[in-house]
Amino acid sequence: MNTSSFLRLNFFLIMASFSLFISLCSTVYADGVVVDKVYHPYVLPNEREVEWRLFSHKESENNKLAQRIAYGQSVTENLMLELYLVGERDVNNDFSLTSYELEARWMLTEQGEYWADWGLLFEIEKEKQKQNWEVTSGVLVEKEFGRTSLTLNAFIIYEWGNTIVSEFETEFRLKYRYRYLEQFQPAIELYSGENYLGIGPAFMGLQRFSNQKQLKWELGFITGVDSRSKGHVLRVAIEYEF
Amino acid sequence: MINAYLCRYIKVFFISVLLLLSFNLQAKRSEYHIAIKNHLFEPAKIVIPANTKVKLIIYNHDENVEEFDSFDLNREKVIFPNQQAIIFIGPLLVGEYNFFGEYHPHSARGKVIVNNIENVNNGGTKVIEIDKGGQNAN
Repeated sequence: MNTSSFLRLNFFLIMASFSLFISLCSTVYADGVVVDKVYHPYVLPNEREVEWRLFSHKESENNKLAQRIAYGQSVTENLMLELYLVGERDVNNDFSLTSYELEARWMLTEQGEYWADWGLLFEIEKEKQKQNWEVTSGVLVEKEFGRTSLTLNAFIIYEWGNTIVSEFETEFRLKYRYRYLEQFQPAIELYSGENYLGIGPAFMGLQRFSNQKQLKWELGFITGVDSRSKGHVLRVAIEYEF
Repeated sequence: MINAYLCRYIKVFFISVLLLLSFNLQAKRSEYHIAIKNHLFEPAKIVIPANTKVKLIIYNHDENVEEFDSFDLNREKVIFPNQQAIIFIGPLLVGEYNFFGEYHPHSARGKVIVNNIENVNNGGTKVIEIDKGGQNAN
């Protein structure tokens, strides 16, 4: 197979794959928070991190608030585990711990080795008070175009429990990032799922300290773009690697 | 209803597997070797052709872990003591791309110089090109 045939085959397969992902996302919708983080398919050995994320969803008069704190550690050269505590503000404006989550991120291919970089993500989440569970599996893809990078996440979710209907759901996330400066990288993000389709600007960057320590930050402002997607979502993520 | 979702999931899975298998059909890459000794990259300058994907093989001779890091190249890679790591870079436009060792950023510094010359060697530094078949690689 010559190089051009190989590239054409790869392009066709990529397009077919993501058409399928998008069609899945347009037919079923998830119940949870759709706007979250767009994951990169990379893992570094010896990596440890603590993370804080905030999501504020403004819908007319209401303002939904969720926060996550997490600790993560790479357990092999290409596998990272992260444990989350999820808190949400309820209808009485009380903020409390609502669920726990364990996440595994698996780097499948070496960065830059193939046409695109591939990874997988698995999550299991349990609500604190209720016997409700959620399992997520997803594909993470990143492709570099010069100083820009396109990152795609496609997830299939299954949830079940005492107070929810057992069902499959899907989510799709996209980020197109311009690596302008290490400390400042603008991006466009798109989120689809849970009766929601949103798009908006995001900004991210990192500040290095000595001995592999670094602080990463992300800020996004996502706006619903169709009749079922109301309001705006502000998302913030701060991650300290050490 | 659940069966329909399962069928879609299986389709997605098999397409993903096909994609991964297809990516294994990669072309040969030109190889460039770099050593880390006493927290220095040797050579500190690597000259590679433009618009070509190449393979950097970095051997860490030190007794300490090092991390190859480059915002310009968009690469991070941990290299354990007395072990080697492979980093794929490119295709790149003509220019200079800095890299450094994250654990010794003041001493372990280097750059990748990309130019239009096909068979490149920067003279003063040791560049070993093993496989010229990689000139057509992408």
